[in-house]
Formats: sequence, C-alpha cells, structure tokens
Amino acid sequence: MATNKPYDNRAWLGVLPVLLIVAFSAVIPLMTVVNYSVQDILDFNSRFYVGLDWYRETLQDPRFIDAFGRQVLFSFSVLAIEIPLGILVARGLPKSGVWTSILLILLAVPLLIPWNVVGTIWQIYARSDIGLLGVGLNELGLAFNYTSNPTHAWLTLIAMDVWHWTSLVALLSFAGLTSVPPAYYQAAELDGASKWQVFRYVEMPRLGGVLVIAVLLRLMDSFMIYTEPFVLTGGGPGNATTFLSQYLATMAVGQFDLGPAAAFSVIYFLFILLFCWIFYNSVMSDDNEAQHHD
Amino acid sequence: MATIMLDELGFAYPGVLEPTLLPLSLEIKDGEAFALLGASGAGKTTLLNLLSGLLVPTTGRILFDGVDVSTQSGSQRNLAQVFQFPVLYESLCVADNLAFPLRARKATNGFSASDIQARVAKIAGELSIENLLKLKPKTLSLFEKQLVAIGRALMRPNVSVVLLDEPLTAVEPRTKWQLRQSLKRLQEELGVTMIYVTHDQTEALTFADRVAVMADGRILQTASPQQVYEHPAHEFVGFFIGSPGMNFVAIKSAGSEQMYAANGVDQSAQRIGFRPEWARLENVSAACTSPAVRWQGKVLHCQILGTQAGAPVGITTLASEAGELKVRGAINAIVGDEIEVVVDRFISFIDEEYCATHHAQSSTDYLANTADE
Amino acid sequence: MLRIQNVLLNSEVNCGFDHDFLPGGMTVVLGRNQAGKTNLCRFIAGLSTQVVGELSLNNAPLNHLSPQKRSVAVVFQAFVNYPNWSVQQNIASPIVAAGKDKAYIQSRVLELAEKLGLGELLQRMPNELSGGQQQRLAIARALAKEAQVLLLDEPLVNLDYKLREALALELRSILDDSETTVIYTTTDPKDAFTLGDDLLLLDAGSKLQAGAPLSVYQKPNTFAAANLMSDPGINTFAWSSLSDQAFAQQNQAASDISKLGGVRPEHLFSVDKGDFNAAECLGFDLQVSAVETSGDETFVHGFLKAKDLGVVEQPSWVVRSPGMLDFIQGQELLVAARKRDILVFGAH
Repeated sequence: MATNKPYDNRAWLGVLPVLLIVAFSAVIPLMTVVNYSVQDILDFNSRFYVGLDWYRETLQDPRFIDAFGRQVLFSFSVLAIEIPLGILVARGLPKSGVWTSILLILLAVPLLIPWNVVGTIWQIYARSDIGLLGVGLNELGLAFNYTSNPTHAWLTLIAMDVWHWTSLVALLSFAGLTSVPPAYYQAAELDGASKWQVFRYVEMPRLGGVLVIAVLLRLMDSFMIYTEPFVLTGGGPGNATTFLSQYLATMAVGQFDLGPAAAFSVIYFLFILLFCWIFYNSVMSDDNEAQHHD
Repeated sequence: MATIMLDELGFAYPGVLEPTLLPLSLEIKDGEAFALLGASGAGKTTLLNLLSGLLVPTTGRILFDGVDVSTQSGSQRNLAQVFQFPVLYESLCVADNLAFPLRARKATNGFSASDIQARVAKIAGELSIENLLKLKPKTLSLFEKQLVAIGRALMRPNVSVVLLDEPLTAVEPRTKWQLRQSLKRLQEELGVTMIYVTHDQTEALTFADRVAVMADGRILQTASPQQVYEHPAHEFVGFFIGSPGMNFVAIKSAGSEQMYAANGVDQSAQRIGFRPEWARLENVSAACTSPAVRWQGKVLHCQILGTQAGAPVGITTLASEAGELKVRGAINAIVGDEIEVVVDRFISFIDEEYCATHHAQSSTDYLANTADE
Repeated sequence: MLRIQNVLLNSEVNCGFDHDFLPGGMTVVLGRNQAGKTNLCRFIAGLSTQVVGELSLNNAPLNHLSPQKRSVAVVFQAFVNYPNWSVQQNIASPIVAAGKDKAYIQSRVLELAEKLGLGELLQRMPNELSGGQQQRLAIARALAKEAQVLLLDEPLVNLDYKLREALALELRSILDDSETTVIYTTTDPKDAFTLGDDLLLLDAGSKLQAGAPLSVYQKPNTFAAANLMSDPGINTFAWSSLSDQAFAQQNQAASDISKLGGVRPEHLFSVDKGDFNAAECLGFDLQVSAVETSGDETFVHGFLKAKDLGVVEQPSWVVRSPGMLDFIQGQELLVAARKRDILVFGAH
C-alpha cells in the first residue's frame, strides 16, 4: 500500500537538525553531569567511582536542606503574589485601542532588562543610604536595611521578583482574556452577572490553559533564581537569602567540588521536574475527571 | 414582557457621515414574535445592538412599556439574548447554566432555591433537555448547546424581550427546523416578546407574526409574512424574499401602453414585478391582440427542482424583450426554445414603492368587457 | 479523464470505490457533513495523507506527484486569498508562477476579473471585499491556474442565501463552456440539479450512487440515496401497512414485510376527501405538527395517523408544496401522492 501514498518519510530529515541541537545542548551535557556525580574527581586524571555517596551526602547536608526550604518558600511566595496580581493587571488593561499597545509595551519593559541589571537596579534602589526606596522608608520612620535585616532582605527580593516577572503573567493572561468572544461578556451582563461572576464563570475557564503555562514558567524560573539575589544580597545577610543555585555555584565554582556539585545538580533537576510534573498532572487530571463525570 | 416602542431611533458611528441606521419608528407588541430580515450590512445588527444596550442611539428613543431605556445598560433593561453560536458557561453544568440568570439576580427578584429548581425543570421540560441537565457544555452537540442557550434566555419569567441574533447559524441544516419549532412553540406558550434577526427568509417567515424587511439602514416594510410575500411594499422586498426573487419589467421598455392600461396600471408606474409562480409558459401564439401581459422569449436555462407526476418541475429562465425572466412550474421547454411567458398576476411599482396588485385579464374577460361597452 | 480507483476515504471504510469523473463537465458530490467530501477533494489535490487509493488523470497516475505539480486547482469553503496582494495580483499569481509573459498575464487577469464581476475592484485588497467578492476572487484565481481539474469544496456555504443563489447560477454559466473537469461538493440536493452534469452520492466514506441528477432522483438505488437526494428527508412507511393491496401486489412486495415505501416531500399534496382519486393516488392521514414557509414554498410537518404506522425511518413526515399555505397545528389532513411517484426500498 505504501506506493499509493504520495509521501515518504522525508519529513524526518526536517526534524534532524533539532534532534542534533538538542542532543549537543541538552542530552550530552546532562549525561556528563550524571557521570561526574558518581565519581570523586581530584583532578581530571585521577577519578574514583564512588557510587551514590555524593547523593547521600548532599541530601543529608544541613546547608542544602536549609537552602531547599528557603527556595520553596521563595518560589511559592512569588507565585502567590505574581499570579493573582498578573491576572488583575491583565483585567485592568483596555481590550483595544491606542492605550492597549502603549501599556503592553510598558509592561514588557521589565522583561527586557538583563537579570544582573535588575539586581543592580534594586541593589541601589533599596540602599538605605542613597537608594530612593531605602531612604524613603527610613524617612518614614521604618528602620529599613536589607543588608543587615534578613526579613528586609527577603521583602526586597520578593518585591524585585514581583516587579520583574508580574508582567509576564499579565501578558499571558491578557492573551487568554482576548480570546474570550465579546458575546460571552454580553451574555453575562444580560444575565445580571456580577463582576466576580464574570471573572469566575466567563474568564477563568478560558484562562485555565495560559495560567498553567504561567505557573509552570514562574515555578521553574523562580526555583532556579540566581543572578538577582547574587547581585542584590549576595546570599546574605548570613545565609538568609542563599538559594539552591547559589549554594551550588559556591560548591562547583568556588570550591571546585565537581562530584558533589554534580550530584546536587541532578537532585536539583529532578526536584524541578517533580514539581512541574505534580502540578501539571493535578491540573490535567481535574480536567479529565470533569470529562469522566459527564 | 413588554411593549417596545422605537421613536425616531437612529444611529451613526462617530465621524461617519452616512448613518448606519436611518431614524425609524416602530412598535413591537407585548408577546409578539417579531423578525428583522435583511442581507448583511442592512443595519439589522446595529438595530439589535441598540436594543440590547450595546450601542447608544444618536437620535430618538427606545421605550420599554413607555419607559425610556435609551441610555440604560442591557442588564437594566432586563432583556435576554441568544447569539449566533451557543454562548454557555463552560465550567457549569446545563442545570447551573439555566439557573444562572435567576441566581445572579437573586437579590432583586426574590427567587428561592426551590423556585429556581422548579423553573429549571419547567424550561428543561419544554425543550426536552431533562436528560442533559447534569452534563457539561463541552459534551453537547451544537444543536443541544443552542437549545440550552435558548433555555437560559427564557428562564426569567419577567424578561422584557428576548433577542435572537441568527440563532441557527451554527446548527446543521437538517436539524434547523426542529430548533425553529421549539422556539416558536415556547414563544407562544410563554408569551414572551421575541425579536429574531436573520437573513434567512424561511426562518423569518416561519417564526414571526410580523416581519420587518431591512436594507441600507431602513425598514422597507413591516407586515405579516403573507403580506410581505404577496404584497411587497418595495421592489427590494420582492427581490429579497422568494427564491428566486420577483421578476421586474420596466414598463417603458417592454409591452404596449394599451396592454398596461387595460390591466389598470397607473400611468406614473415605472415598473411591474411578478413572482416566478405568477406566470406560466405557453407555446408562441399567433399575433395576439388580447391585453394579456405576455412576452416572447428564448429559453436560457432550466433549473429542475423535482418532478411532479414524473415530469420535471422547476424554474425556467428566458431572455425576452422584457429582460431576463424566471418562471416557476412544469418545465416543458428545452434550452433554445422560443416560448411565451403569460403573467396572471403582477404588482405595479412607483419609484420602487408598491402601487397596486393586478390580476391580469384573460382574453375572454377582455372580450366580455369590450362587448359591454 | 480523472479516475479514482479503490479509494478509502477514511479509516472506518473497509471497501474502496471507483469513480470516473465526467471529463469537461461538472460533477456534484453530494453528502452530509463528515461523508468524506473534503477528504476526496484533498486526496485529488494531493493534500491528504489519510486517503488511500489510486488516482489518475488521462491514464497517467497522479499519486506520486506533489500538489504543486498536479493540474488541479482548489476553492475552499473559507475565503482563501493572499491577504497582502491586491485583487489583480491575486488573480495573476498562478499565471505569474507558471512563467507566462506580461501581455498574456494582463489580458488573462482582465478577462477573468470581468467574468467574475471583479473588473471594478482590481486594485482593492481582499479585506476590502465583501464575502461574496472574496469567494469570487478565490474562484478567479483557481480558474487562472488553467488546471485540468477544478475542485470546489462547498464554496458557497459561508455566504448569505441570496448571494449563494446568484453565485451558483453564475458559476454554472462561467464553467459551462470550459474544458475543465469540475468537482463541486455540497450538502444541498438543490445544487445537484442547478449545477450538476453528473452526480456522485457519498455517505460515510462510501459511494452510494452516481449518474445524471434526474435519474438518481427518479430511480434511487437505496433508501439512503433517496434520502440524501431529498430536502427535507424522504417520508417512509412500512409497505405492509399499505391498505391498497392491488398496488402493493403490483410491486410484488405485499408479502415482504421488510419492504419500505418512500415518498418525496414535494410529491405529496393535500386533497379533499371527495376529490381523492384512489385509482391514481395513495392517501395518507396526517396530523399537522408544524408549518414552515419560505414564501414560495410551504413545509408542513406532521405525523402519520395510527393506522398507517409501521416501522418508519423518519419519526415525522414533511409535505413540501409551492406557495404559502395556511395550515394550523393539530389539523388533520389527507395527503396524497401519485402511485408512480412512490418509491420502494428493500430491507436495508
């Protein structure tokens, strides 16, 4: 029957470059890391196979556990703020007109700033001696100093992340909202729906898809945050804002402990994968359940 | 339910000289089934949006039961609308979709949970969708979805008017009539004022007690379906309703003065129009002196619609001195034949507007008349 | 000649069919939604990978040719034009692609634009055209390709009915004198009569019947074919319920209780009891459930009264008669059909 089809399998040739790029940029480096994680590397010529020792060590390392706790707290804090805030901003945007494009461009600005610049901006902005925010808060009578007070350091970090990334959620949500046909709003209005009901029954069902993407992106991204806290607080005061990636960098680059760092990386990677998988599946199974009940 | 009065209602988009809707006055009675019929661009959607409160009129007023609602929002007007495609709350089951308009207005309409439940059961029963009540919209067919949307529009017993914006567009042709019938039956049983906007003549003529035919931002005629078909007030109405539409013949170009005069056509009439079924085909007769309205022509095309007793019936198109004419009935000629069109009944128009209906005199009538004189 | 052989239009069909399309004529492919009409078009155009079968044009196989290399032009349901090109450029595009000289392109574009009533609009952009004009443009572009086969996949379905009516007749006259083999798919049996030199009935991916429209209409092979070629659907009654035994025997079906009788809606007419002619007609008692009118025609929906009930395919009957008739819901009617119009179907 194959002769009857006007096509062969040439389409695979089109996919080949992507496969190659993915192999060289992702699969092979990942395998290298896995390889490192089961060896003790004194220098590149003397390596010993150590099995899962590094994994055991990492999981028992109190500094790792602390950093992990902070990481989870940080990620969930920023998600809890950015997602609702982003939706709120998106709903506030006009649906069409000149202002829509102007506001969309303004919203996109924080996303275009390099991450270390974002860190620097906030580092200066929040300084209690010369920064607008820091000085302002102190003038108001609040003894604000993010370099010495861990709570202040955390608040500054979260504020910075919210400033940096809420736009992304807002833009995604806005795209979701514009896909709601006008007739739905009109029908809800004629039915006498309140603003909350319009949001709950008209907009939310349509936003579901983009929100899953927004949450996934922000979850992964915030879990891997490195540059901004590195520039802003350097992990301090003490270890108050040392997150996983920063600890990892200290280990791999600072102390050149390649084996433990590799094991750390693999664990780190698996955790992110796990979080995303749990989240994605819980959302999707809700959907499936709804279908089965029908 | 309400009587709806449009008082010199007009609309123009800001900055546009040509108004989209020319000022018009109209009364739609309480409990009436009313249809707005016109091609796209005729202004029927604009009129609908004015009624639903989406647009604010530039001139004139809209009165619901004598109250000026021109500047009120759609929800204040207490109306409901059914859209071209089914609009349902996707996360709610059918029963909750139906209950939504009552629950949303609970504070003001004083409906208890059991009242709402009873109303859901009643409307679902009327539409025979009891078996769907627990389902989510995404598992329904388009047909069922639109039924639910119609049901939701009818939930509020005190709704002032239900607007239907081409509600059958998305429904498969073969099932359209069932939805149409459900709609009509509900309209009659619940006595709701309904305004049905469509470009489809069958939908309009079947559904409505009265039809308003629109073109170029104007209502050309508002009358019963029978009236609109048989006595079009404007040439466009005659052309637009009917498939194919009316034939029009310019009086100057074809037919003798005597012929028109004998049939009582007003001297100032410019054109006559007749429906394809108001004429017949006959073999060419010898020089004819009778005053019958008839033209000779050559068959251009025969469009079969079916058979009657084995013989094909349909529409014959001819080229004649009166222009291209279409005649409906038995097809007894083939392409290229010379044949005669005899018109039994026609309408004369002055300045495109209806003047009079004429039953053409046959030659025997004529002879009898001349004998009397 | 365009020939398809052993074609499986979807994966659920297990028996392929053959068809030779009328060379230089217009074949109307009639079928409901999902019958496989679009798949057939995509197969002939070379756009589908799901359809299996052999395809040849003038005895030369086409299967292995890519869509660009086939002498096939397509017009889709949706109005597909190049949005950033003017009407003129759109019409010219296939001729330019074929590498014809400037003078020829110029004259051909003008000719086609004139033919399709776009002469005044040559400089407009597609989004400045109405729906009807956009579809004319798509047709003009397809014609410009001068392909041997032109596929029209429900081209008028997205237009207002008045436009549809006018454009269908125009299409007829535009394509009448061309040498192109035209395939026109539709769900409306009326199009078969208006446009078709030849008719192919498709149902659930299979060929039901083919032939000249009038002969398919008058002598349907099966109930499905008769029903497809009827709008509204065909009315049925159990042959065994027929009281006119003489007529039943004429059709040698009296004893065969599985036989089904069918009457087309337009072959039924209401008669007074006194005028009923039992020698020529069969009568049915109908209770009116709904009346619909398009002005020039009235559709009376109703139910057969108990004595006529048997195993029926349609729950209700429809009578289609010319003119605007005034019947009331619940009214009882005697409707008759001439015996020569009655169709008989075997078990199915």
